[in-house]
Amino acid sequence: MKTKWFSWLSHPESLLSCLTLVMLGWICNVDPTFLQWEVQKELSTHIWETALMALPMTLIILTGGIDLSIGSTMSLCAITAGMLHQHGVPLPMGCLAAALVGLAGGWFNGWFITRLKVHPLIITLATMAAFRGIAEGVSQARPLSGFPKSFTWLGQASWLGIPLAGWLFLGCLALCAWIMHGHRLGRYIHAIGYNEVATRYSGIRVNRILLGLYCLSGLSASIAAILFMARRNTAKADIGVGVELGVITAVVMGGVSIFGGRGSLFGVCLGLVLIHETREFVSWHWSRDELNLLALGSLLILSVVFQQLLGHKRSS
Amino acid sequence: MSALQAKQISRSYGGTRALSEVSIELLPGSIHALCGENGAGKSTLIKILSGVETPDSGEVTLNGQPIPLGRVHAVEQIGIVAVHQEPVVFPHLNTVDNLFVGREQSKVGGLWLNKKGMREQACQIMHSLGEAFSLDIPVGQLSLAQRQMVSMGRALLHECRILILDEPTASLSARESRSLFATMDRLQQQGVGILYVSHRLEEVFQLAQQVTILRDGQCAGTQPTSSLSRSELIRMMVGRPVDNPSRQQKKTKSKSDKPILKIRGMRRDPVFQDIHLEVYAGEILGLSGLVGAGRSEIARAIFGLDPVDEGEIWFEGRCLPEGFTIQDTMAMGMAMVPEDRQREGLVLPASVEDNLTLPSLIELSGWMGMHRKPRHEASRSLIEQMGIKTASRASSAQSLSGGNQQKIVLGKWVYRQPRLFILDEPTRGVDVGAKEEVHRMIEQLAAGGSAILLISSDMPEILRLSDRILTLCQGRIKGEIASHEATQEILLQWALPEERDALS
Amino acid sequence: MKDGFQGLRLGKWMLGLLKQRAAGLFCFTFLALGLVSLINPAFLAWGNLRDIAVQAAPVCIISCGLMLVLVLGEIDISVGSMMGVLAASMGAMVSATRWGLSPWIAVILTLILGTLMGALNGWLIAYLRVPSIMVTLGMLTALRGVTEVIMGGTWITDLPPGIRYLGTGSWMGLPICLWVCAGVIVLSTWLIHRTPLGRRIFAIGSQPRAAHLAGLPIQRVKFLVFAWTGFLTALATLVSVPQLSVVDSGIGVGMELLVVTCVVVGGTSVSGGTGHLSGVVFAVLLMTMISTLLIFMKLGENATYWSRAIQGLFILGAILLDHLVRSKKSS
Repeated sequence: MKTKWFSWLSHPESLLSCLTLVMLGWICNVDPTFLQWEVQKELSTHIWETALMALPMTLIILTGGIDLSIGSTMSLCAITAGMLHQHGVPLPMGCLAAALVGLAGGWFNGWFITRLKVHPLIITLATMAAFRGIAEGVSQARPLSGFPKSFTWLGQASWLGIPLAGWLFLGCLALCAWIMHGHRLGRYIHAIGYNEVATRYSGIRVNRILLGLYCLSGLSASIAAILFMARRNTAKADIGVGVELGVITAVVMGGVSIFGGRGSLFGVCLGLVLIHETREFVSWHWSRDELNLLALGSLLILSVVFQQLLGHKRSS
Repeated sequence: MSALQAKQISRSYGGTRALSEVSIELLPGSIHALCGENGAGKSTLIKILSGVETPDSGEVTLNGQPIPLGRVHAVEQIGIVAVHQEPVVFPHLNTVDNLFVGREQSKVGGLWLNKKGMREQACQIMHSLGEAFSLDIPVGQLSLAQRQMVSMGRALLHECRILILDEPTASLSARESRSLFATMDRLQQQGVGILYVSHRLEEVFQLAQQVTILRDGQCAGTQPTSSLSRSELIRMMVGRPVDNPSRQQKKTKSKSDKPILKIRGMRRDPVFQDIHLEVYAGEILGLSGLVGAGRSEIARAIFGLDPVDEGEIWFEGRCLPEGFTIQDTMAMGMAMVPEDRQREGLVLPASVEDNLTLPSLIELSGWMGMHRKPRHEASRSLIEQMGIKTASRASSAQSLSGGNQQKIVLGKWVYRQPRLFILDEPTRGVDVGAKEEVHRMIEQLAAGGSAILLISSDMPEILRLSDRILTLCQGRIKGEIASHEATQEILLQWALPEERDALS
Repeated sequence: MKDGFQGLRLGKWMLGLLKQRAAGLFCFTFLALGLVSLINPAFLAWGNLRDIAVQAAPVCIISCGLMLVLVLGEIDISVGSMMGVLAASMGAMVSATRWGLSPWIAVILTLILGTLMGALNGWLIAYLRVPSIMVTLGMLTALRGVTEVIMGGTWITDLPPGIRYLGTGSWMGLPICLWVCAGVIVLSTWLIHRTPLGRRIFAIGSQPRAAHLAGLPIQRVKFLVFAWTGFLTALATLVSVPQLSVVDSGIGVGMELLVVTCVVVGGTSVSGGTGHLSGVVFAVLLMTMISTLLIFMKLGENATYWSRAIQGLFILGAILLDHLVRSKKSS
């Protein structure tokens, strides 16, 4: 009985569920107004971009890789759309161009990783500087704004109480869940993360899958950029600074192993909820934003240490 | 009085017994050879003697004192030093640093390295080994032979009383071998006992005074080399009366058959050259030879995992295009069970079902995703057909025994019904019962009309299963023989390199 | 005969030098310097060169530690946030309106605090075997939070002259930070080339399995290297922060990226085992010089915004170069 409990607890997802429930219970006790629907809706406006980018990041980390460049890709995409708009190109065309830029950025990362066998950490660190640098250079670090009403409407509209961005995320989540559980790609992604050599030896085109995933990551960053512009009605080269850290923290907190293979979308969603609620509650209840980062970082370290210790127990 | 004495050493891995009650005695100032086929237990014995592994039972003593088992550093401290087959070197560091790292000489209490002194000593040691290459270039840029010598030098730095050498000449040229032998001679004069492992029987006869033969993890005898002839030694290595050496019904190759696989002049430097072979439908072609003779490399090249420098590969009458990939060969109907089951064959943490269906997922899915039912059905029937003992199809592959894991690796290809199976050591590390089952499956596959290219270091296995046997030696085909004419002696004779210029 | 032989050796030596990253960077740096001073001779003014060196010094100090981390095959991206914490705590310690400690005690406490933070990283990585990227990613976030807690949303403007001297003072005509930087470089050179520890760091990064077989104390070495990096970060904070008259919570943001970039461009392999201090030093000079170079090239004020892009291009170039060298070697 005891061992059964232990093996159930050693799943990061179950641990995380308990943690989330305990935290929500505690919040309910301390300050019940925080959990009201209206408050939550108000606070959720900017989680969707992070959540959207967390999906491809989950898949990438599951294969054993990482993408640090998404924040910079966001800024590059936003600047592309903004500059094109300023030069009189219709905004839909600008958004399309932004999406293409995002794809190209992801492809660039993926090409280096699959062809030149550069470590993902290094190449995305390089493009992290390069993409933001290009965005800064092109825009001269000036904010671009003055988008049409119909565009900013995208950022404010909601349906059944959930903003459009939220629906977009839910759609993408459903798609990813299907890929991971209903499609063979999901099996391939887990297999690559656990043992890339054996996967290659089973005749699976590992490089093509990796390239696709990094492209997807770039694309998600461009969509996040468009959502951000619609919400804030502005585009600037410094948007998305540090976004990659929030995304990676959520994914790792959700129990995805940084070495690849192990992890689930359910866990990542829990991780997103946990991080979001912690962050919002800390600044809502104590009105001290500075505690946010401290709580977030400590949570990340603790969860990784805990997973490590449990993993040791399990393997021995 | 003997210097090193190992008594009744036993060691098992999982269910297989690698060593059972082996005893060996090593006299000071003598060279003692250790001989045996691949998998006879030589490397296990060396690992135990050098402290890398602990035995299940038995004890090792040096001059009557028991040695600390399983602790490399402590064993080195008392003077037992091993040079492993794979050189232990740090590729980015230069030779001096490689020799001294971990036991640097320094002045001022460890604050200032005595570079000059270390350099002089390194110079001396490498010179005594007959090497004159620059000590300043990173060891990673040296040749394999030179790296081996650096690894040797690291061992000589110790005040050693017992030196264990595992196939030291495998990657050495004649000149380097000669200086190695001279060094061994010098150490022998100084009273160092040397345990020498080699496949090169000429070296054994030239150098060693005593030879211990291991066979299937047991000691087959210790004899003075002067009382043995080469053929007697080979017979002792092969040993047992070969039970059931051949299949009841051999398929006779008829010339009218078209070969499934035909290879003409395949070459990949420096691992193999000038490979010609054919495999016919329903035939099992054995590929024998020593470890490192290029067998696995040939298999990998045929399957599209490694590039080929030159040569034509015909599969069922079609020539494979230049730069073909594993996807091409799989689509044409090839399958390969790789040598290293855990690293190359299986996704260990994934479930049995995932592993079994991994190569066939495309066939098992449509535009709506994977077909759940057929996939379950496929894995269920494969588990049944292959006789895989598992709690459920969802249990992870690493929870299974070695034999059952191997059945998964075979089973994942069986579903695709390939025309050619390339099996690289299909029964390595598999216990006896499962081995029998794997053998039966291989025979069934051949009876079903598939061609099979079987690579194995297990001589009885290759003799029993194959219809024809090719023997490789140093990347070339040395001879071909029908298996009913073959004996272990002939195969071993072909597999061993001929008299080398080092000794003539 | 003998001369010919020596000539050959000289040529070989020059060729080998060109292949080394340090020499390549050296040539590139001086080429860039020469070009810019041709366009604008004011660039070579003593004051300007000194400003560039002062700017580069803290980056260089931290890079000396981070290089060893990368040689071990690990990574540390928490140095920027560490700098933030150290700056804030140092400011709070010396500020008359806060704790008002004497500068000497503040300096010592800061150094201890930095070493402790590095040691915490090292302990988690070496003894609990948590991947270094995860630990330092967590620290990057958490320590930034600590900084903001210490600052409490305000600035510290009343740094006493004793501590300002560390940043603004000079000794024998050179700013103090340059002396410290030179000292760290000399110390690191000694550590790398002249102590058993240095050799072991390189051995462990080169081939961890062989290091294990050779009985090297892998965990202790890792722990020490991370603690050392923490110490150097504290040192860099002490000489750079007092240059400013204000301490805010944004100090050190992005420092980790700049430092990792410099170390990688300087020829240190991410997979461990190799790295040259001289390459790293020139890479630091080059990287910190870019924006100044762009100003003095008189390309107009727009050009300075491209400095980050140029930095990114340098890393990409370094990666490509590495790839070319590797594929040459293997063929």
